[in-house]
Amino acid sequence: MRRTFLGELEEVVLLTVAVLGEEAYAVTVAQELDQKAGRAVGFSTVHTTLQRLEEKGFLSSEMGGATAERGGRRKRFFRVTAFGRKALREAKEAREALWNAMSPDTLQLMTR
Amino acid sequence: MERKPTSVGPGVGTPGVDTPGAGTQGPAGPPRWATRLLASWSHPDTREELQGDMLEMYAYWLESLGKPAADRKYALAAIRLLRPFARPKSSNDYSETYSFSAAMIQNYFKIAFRNLLKSKTFSAINILGLALGMACSLMILLWIRDERAVDAFHTNNGQLYRIYMREYFSGKVQGVIWTPGLLAEELKKSIPEIEMSTPYSWTNPQTFSVGSKVHKQATNWASEDFFKMFSYKLLQGTPEGALRDKSNIVISRNMAEAFFGSAEAAMGKAIRFDNRKEMTVSAVFENIGTNSSLQFDCLMTWDAYTDDNRWAEDWGSTDPLTFFKLRKDADPAKVATKMLHLLDKTNRDAGKPYKTQLAMQPFHEYYLNSNIKDAKMDGGRIEYVRLFSFVAVFILLIACINFMNLATARSSRRAKEVGVRKVVGAMRSMLAGQFMGEALLIATLSAILAVLLVALLLPAFNSLTGKQMALPLSEPMFWGVIAGLLAATGLLAGSYPALFLSSLNPVRILKGALKFDSSSVWVRQGLVVFQFGLSVILIVGMIIIYRQVGFVQNKNLGFDRENLVYFPIEGELFNKYDILKVQLTQVAGVKEVSHMTASPASNGNGTEGITWPGSDPNDKVRFTPVGVGYNFTKTMNLQMAEGRDFSKEFPTDSSGVIVNETAVKVMGLKDPVGREINWGKSKIRIVGVLKDFHFQSLHTAIRPLIAYLAAREPQGSVIVRIQAGKTPETLAAIERICKKLNPNVPFTYAFTDQEYARQYQSEQIVGKLAGYFAFLAIFISCLGLFGLAAFTAEQRTKEIGVRKVLGASVAGIVGLLSKDFLKLVMMAIVLASPVAWYIMKQWLQGFAYQIDIEWWMFVLAGVIAVLIAVFTVSFQSIRAAMVNPVRSLRSE
Repeated sequence: MRRTFLGELEEVVLLTVAVLGEEAYAVTVAQELDQKAGRAVGFSTVHTTLQRLEEKGFLSSEMGGATAERGGRRKRFFRVTAFGRKALREAKEAREALWNAMSPDTLQLMTR
Repeated sequence: MERKPTSVGPGVGTPGVDTPGAGTQGPAGPPRWATRLLASWSHPDTREELQGDMLEMYAYWLESLGKPAADRKYALAAIRLLRPFARPKSSNDYSETYSFSAAMIQNYFKIAFRNLLKSKTFSAINILGLALGMACSLMILLWIRDERAVDAFHTNNGQLYRIYMREYFSGKVQGVIWTPGLLAEELKKSIPEIEMSTPYSWTNPQTFSVGSKVHKQATNWASEDFFKMFSYKLLQGTPEGALRDKSNIVISRNMAEAFFGSAEAAMGKAIRFDNRKEMTVSAVFENIGTNSSLQFDCLMTWDAYTDDNRWAEDWGSTDPLTFFKLRKDADPAKVATKMLHLLDKTNRDAGKPYKTQLAMQPFHEYYLNSNIKDAKMDGGRIEYVRLFSFVAVFILLIACINFMNLATARSSRRAKEVGVRKVVGAMRSMLAGQFMGEALLIATLSAILAVLLVALLLPAFNSLTGKQMALPLSEPMFWGVIAGLLAATGLLAGSYPALFLSSLNPVRILKGALKFDSSSVWVRQGLVVFQFGLSVILIVGMIIIYRQVGFVQNKNLGFDRENLVYFPIEGELFNKYDILKVQLTQVAGVKEVSHMTASPASNGNGTEGITWPGSDPNDKVRFTPVGVGYNFTKTMNLQMAEGRDFSKEFPTDSSGVIVNETAVKVMGLKDPVGREINWGKSKIRIVGVLKDFHFQSLHTAIRPLIAYLAAREPQGSVIVRIQAGKTPETLAAIERICKKLNPNVPFTYAFTDQEYARQYQSEQIVGKLAGYFAFLAIFISCLGLFGLAAFTAEQRTKEIGVRKVLGASVAGIVGLLSKDFLKLVMMAIVLASPVAWYIMKQWLQGFAYQIDIEWWMFVLAGVIAVLIAVFTVSFQSIRAAMVNPVRSLRSE
């Protein structure tokens, strides 16, 4: 199986989707990133990233019901797949392993 | 992290956003162009949610950053999200129904062509029938266009008018197109709105010579304004200078070439008129085409005419036509009221109870509306234009009905297709569109064929109608008409099949064989009845027109018009008539010689000067005067009712007259011979009474005739009765004698019977055309019947097989199959006969002497229709009846 790397932005977006849970769709993800992560990620970037993550199999999506707002258009809700969760976990473990491998001096320096 | 349902964004719910339809946002909404870009060029798979998301984001930005920044961000994101080349990757759960997707349209065409090829006979019948109908209508349209184009080419067309008078004679007010010669000048003087005017006389042949070249040319006279008013093209000279001087003559290119070799060479040259006047060519005009009702080879000035004809300067005379041109800004209605009583001051109606009125008619309308009814211009050739417009529509209708009939009859073949299409989701409108499209396709093929047919047949049509029409291929109007014809035919022919086929119930079709309900059969039979009804009307019309024209040509006119030659008395013949007569009687083939004013074929003169004891001075009767020579009655082969012919033995005959029976009746004389009556101030005595004979066309009733002896000064024409069977040599001898006696005038002669027939030219053409069109209508109807019969026979193959097995004879089966169609044709005959009778009765009103419409005409038309129908149907039914039942029953 082809090893798919999770890019840094991809990881953040994937995490945000996980955080938002059932309310995750492009708008909430973009606003969450804007407000919580303090990152200036353009909406178009968020939209394309979500598409890419779905293509790679980290996310699955489903159309919601018709809405009264936004011109009656439906929303596409995203959900992290098992594969996505695994990728997130692996990324976190890889990072923690690196953190753990750090010498106490350096670690002290970093947290100061 | 805390889940925030409100994180959807503070902007959601604000009025600017939740208005449905991003495109309809007011100034508070995002930039429209960006929204539109998104709607049409973003990735089709995510388009829906993306648009919604963007709206929400916009609201969020609007809240947090303000409008300019929000607009900027929205636009930027929109542009970034465009995926103009993206195709949808995954198919949806169910596809959208595109009524006109490329694949479907391709399929429609494929099916249409397959169906055309599958049944070649039906397709051929359909296309040929429609093509014939269209070609017919197209030809008639061309003819109508040509008729309407006559006199319409003048640049000043809208301002040109002609005058006619309402004059009192023969006891009632009648319209006259001939006017006093002085009228043209008077109009210009008294009515300021009239800018130009001209008299225009009766075009007649005159002799011209240059050196040794002598020709007769159609001559007329007009005023200086003529070429300024009318747009006849001048090759040499100017409209202003063409008819300025009394000695001017304007000649046609043909005439210039005949006398001088070319138009350039003719300018300023001298030409001798009537061997007595030298004229100078002042302009040369292009030969006049058939689209002009005024026809002449040369024009001279009206002043020159009055010099020769002093009587034309009298208000009492009626000689030329008068045309005038209005100022651009003038109101025709006002001018009409101004001229109404213009002639009152001339006192030309002394003693009459009615003063002559003037009326005007737009110049170009005269050609189609030249009949005078109750002192108004009303009708004429326009009636033929109307008649043929109807015929065009009739024939096209018949062809369309064919199409409808065949398409519906064959719908059982297409029914399965309709059923399947409906089951997989075709809507009724799509099916109707499909069949309508097929009809249009066939109509297009037919239209192409029709144009080719017309191009092929036009020369023959031209020679028949005496016109010079061409297909106006370079005119957009022509193609517009073709497109219109095509659309009309396609829609009309396709409408019923489209509606019928698309209405079929798929469950019933797919369950078993298609059963036609009674209403569709009824419609189809109704169409056949209608079609044959139209054909019967055309056949009856053809028979009656043919009979009437024949009747007119063979009617006993009261004189023998065969072998009667006449030629004008002109040049030196005025003085040499006696010598001429002596020499002519010596020619072997000549039986009798005499002379008369006017010609034997037509005499339209009139006089009101006849009074008799007891006549009403206020109610003058118009007599037709004719000056005759001795031997007149013998030469014409007229019968005397009473009294005697003029004779040299009675010197008093110079004051004697011969009248016809109608005149005696009008005057109410009991014992006419020997009675004295008055002609003007002189007393005349009736010496004989002629049996009535027709001296005019049969359109008019016989008028009272008064013949006086004009032997002292012969005028008009010499009439010669020649022996039957010796025409060529006798004519050659007559010509030799005339040449010798009258060397300066070319010899021209006419046969009375031919001239007489010429008066019915338009009836003859109409008769022939009616014949052709009736034939076509029948032919097209039969094409349809043929197709229907073939279809019925095919549908009943099994039934016929069973019948044959059970012992039915071929004749019995043929009868069975033909009976149904014959019933329809019979019904058509019954329904159409009264309509045909009514229409033809109207047509015959145009003749003073008409044939009776008899019952056998309808029977004949019916028999023709039945015979043709039987022939058409039996061809199919015999074939069906002859089939071996084993073959038809084998496949079950």
